Amino acid sequence: MRNKKGDILMENLIFIILNLVFLGILVLFLLNQGNGAIFLERTSAKQISLLIDASPPNSVLKLNFEKPMEIAKDNGIAMEDIIKIDNEKNVVTISLKEKSSYSYHFFNDVEVDSYPNSIYYIITIEEKI
Amino acid sequence: MNKKAEEKIISVYWFIILVVVAGGVFLMVNVFYGAPYDVRNIEANLLSEQIANCIASEGKVSSNLIDYSQNVWLEEFIDHFTDHCSLNFNPTGEWEKTQYYVEVNFYDAFDIRNLILNMSEGNSNWKPDCELQGKGYDKLVVCSKKEFYAEGLSENIYLIKILTVVRKTEQNVK
Repeated sequence: MRNKKGDILMENLIFIILNLVFLGILVLFLLNQGNGAIFLERTSAKQISLLIDASPPNSVLKLNFEKPMEIAKDNGIAMEDIIKIDNEKNVVTISLKEKSSYSYHFFNDVEVDSYPNSIYYIITIEEKI
Repeated sequence: MNKKAEEKIISVYWFIILVVVAGGVFLMVNVFYGAPYDVRNIEANLLSEQIANCIASEGKVSSNLIDYSQNVWLEEFIDHFTDHCSLNFNPTGEWEKTQYYVEVNFYDAFDIRNLILNMSEGNSNWKPDCELQGKGYDKLVVCSKKEFYAEGLSENIYLIKILTVVRKTEQNVK
């Protein structure tokens, strides 16, 4: 037969471990939400579109895309397919997972090209001919 | 009540607290990350900056807009100023109408009721919504107003007022 003090210690220990597990799951959930593909697709498309709007022709932008690239790689998206720019419609489209993408329009009527370079994405802005 | 029954009630109570806390966190995170990132204010300011840079530089109205050798306004620029300023307002995606409106007014700097030149482009239906700014009107448009002075025809000084309006509500407001 186990003594009562031992029972209380064990119960408290299990209770604390369960609480820690619960808090850990919550923290993971919060971190996952902030780095989620959908959230990053939306923010990146808007940020890139604003950068294009703010840039004069003959500009080169070097964006650190490490986090989106990691997510895209995990989801089987090729690095070249993360950023798509439609120069006819003036739209930036970001895709970090299959069957998911987000597009945002930019008003600056320029010729934009983009390509990956290690952890960076290079965006070149030229005058439209 | 015996001790075992009390312990059972306490564990149910803790379970309810955990569920409430988890539900609260889930709800708050959803509200925070589910709300779109509203960039319309920055966009409207960038648009007015681009127009200002296009129509005037170094305190003088651009030679794209005034032919200084003949002392006349250039009608071709006035009629197609968005093309000349490299602006594309074509509607895309879910929208059938353009989501932008811009208006540029030139006033005599010494008599600001005297409108000398007006240029506008985009959807003028958005303009009245600029008067309805503040809480409760987030789902309308975002407007930016900019004004500055520049020298123009026959060394006249103009007060140039630029109004830019960006809608894009569906992409920026929940």
